[in-house]
Amino acid sequence: MTEAFTGFSQRWVDFPDYIIGITKEIWEDRGIATLHDYYADDVVMRFPSGILHGNQTVINGTMATIAEFPDRVLLAEDVIWSGDAETGYLSSHRVRTTGTHTGHGAFGAPTGKQFDIRVIADCAAKSDTIYDEWLVRDYGGMARQLGLDPQQIARDQVGDGTRPFTPADDVDGGYHGTGNTNEWGEKYGDILNRIMAADLAVIPREYDRACHLHHAGARDGLSHADADTYWTALRSSFPSATFAIHHQIGRDDPMMPPRAAIRWSLTGKHDGWGMFGPPTGAPVHVMGISHAEFGPWGLRHETTLYDEVSIWKQIALHTG
Amino acid sequence: MRGFDNRWKDFPDYIIGITKEIWEDRGLATLHDYYAPDIPVRSPASMVIGNQDVIAATMATLAEFPDRTLYGEDVIWSGTPEDGMLSSHRLHSTATHTGDGAYGKATGKRLQYRIIADCHAINNQINDEWLIRDQGAIVRQMGWDPADYARDSIAREGGPENCVQPFTPAIDQPGPYKGRGNDNEWGQKYADILTRIMGADLAVIPAEYDRACQLEYAGGRSGLSHGDADKFWTSLRSSFPNAKFTIEHQIGRDDPMMPPRAAIRWGLHGKHEGWGAFGTPTGAEVYIMGASHAEFGPWGLRREYTLFDETAVWKQIILATGAVE
Repeated sequence: MTEAFTGFSQRWVDFPDYIIGITKEIWEDRGIATLHDYYADDVVMRFPSGILHGNQTVINGTMATIAEFPDRVLLAEDVIWSGDAETGYLSSHRVRTTGTHTGHGAFGAPTGKQFDIRVIADCAAKSDTIYDEWLVRDYGGMARQLGLDPQQIARDQVGDGTRPFTPADDVDGGYHGTGNTNEWGEKYGDILNRIMAADLAVIPREYDRACHLHHAGARDGLSHADADTYWTALRSSFPSATFAIHHQIGRDDPMMPPRAAIRWSLTGKHDGWGMFGPPTGAPVHVMGISHAEFGPWGLRHETTLYDEVSIWKQIALHTG
Repeated sequence: MRGFDNRWKDFPDYIIGITKEIWEDRGLATLHDYYAPDIPVRSPASMVIGNQDVIAATMATLAEFPDRTLYGEDVIWSGTPEDGMLSSHRLHSTATHTGDGAYGKATGKRLQYRIIADCHAINNQINDEWLIRDQGAIVRQMGWDPADYARDSIAREGGPENCVQPFTPAIDQPGPYKGRGNDNEWGQKYADILTRIMGADLAVIPAEYDRACQLEYAGGRSGLSHGDADKFWTSLRSSFPNAKFTIEHQIGRDDPMMPPRAAIRWGLHGKHEGWGAFGTPTGAEVYIMGASHAEFGPWGLRREYTLFDETAVWKQIILATGAVE
């Protein structure tokens, strides 16, 4: 630890240890009731599928997920973090989660199928408590692995009384940081800005030729061509949407390659061909989080998550 | 880099650069310069001498897989330009099986597999090599069972007497490289982990591997977390429970822009006398040439890549038991 880590229980050696530790305690060790302490009473949680207030809602949601996937494990791939005791710490926590669909729930009747997807949770924490959160789960990847169609799930959800998160629904949860100024966050921010401006030549220039990619929909890719394909399929669906970076962290820690975590959004209209079929003109907000690891030959590993189901739902709500 | 062309900025750049030049940029003829005329190239499937055979084999592979890519995932190296350097080069390849050749009739299948090549270089030339290609991944993706492929290859190569003999220490031919790597702590750590696993001390896996570790194993099998590491290593070791495990070459590195990492080339030599990945014990004497790469992080071993050639193991079993039909 180079930075000070203050205001937290002595049992955690550093901020990543706290994040990884409480995640295991809450989910796998079934300490769901600890959410009364670990989550603020008035915590604000933004998912692509909607916004939630208060830790009781979080507890209920956690229980529902456990009922649906009782053997779910959450493996912490990385914790990329920024901040301090004063402004609050922000952890961008990448989790690889696997489990079996053995219970009834949001995905319908149990299919008995297994899933293996990634989730990135951006959590703001102070004094042992999480009070503000942005969470992107690869819902599209999960749906596909359970044998379901993301677009169909979205259509089935229309009329359930909830609607996907848009900036108009946002409320102030208390965290106002935007990350740090580390060069690797700057570099990754620049790469994403260029891709979103259709400067796709940045991919062969900045990505390692042997790069590994994990993108929404549980798609695993390799090298420049797949990076180009994945990013283009997303951007070309919303060619005139506004791309914004909301939070940007870079880190160069011991025992780790240089890395970056960026939370971004695309806000605008579904007015192009891409991964969401014929353009519908639907107003869409895409909440995305990307993590990157850099190496001597460029960007070596990238994980980019957004929720296809919530995008399809916004389209379905518009087209009726 | 003394002795090397000054267009290479460092040793990894040289290794990645010449690989692209030879294969993807079709500079096969450069092998006359880049490879020593009498280079020994050991792979699990064969022992080959000389750059002329390397050129012929490269052409044959390109005829079979004209669009093959060779992405350099990592170069983990040791040595000095003056004494010679050893690069353990991990490649991720894609290819379409569009030509008839050593793998039989073209299947049109899209393949993705890894290779680890340990090459010794001095004076701008490679003169000693150990090459492990994930044949199990290749043939599975073509639709073969590795044992069936091995049986078929014996027949296609002219039967048990005439077929290409898999590599064993008995047919090894010494090359100029005598090094054993370096003494960096990460190589030591990984060697200790592998030695303990091979000593059936499987508790080392939860103790030393990150819970979220990503694993890429022989046969093109991707794994996750402690359970998959345990499964892979156990299914290998339990097929050859009394075989002798040796570490042939060990490198550790802690480079800027990279996590600490290690490259180990190992051997497992003994009898197929247990149940595991290779079915019913046959008592066949087998030599397995393996290569493992690891990346470490704050929570333990984060990424592991272990290759050996399943088809060469099956070929040894089939040749020893005579079950060639």
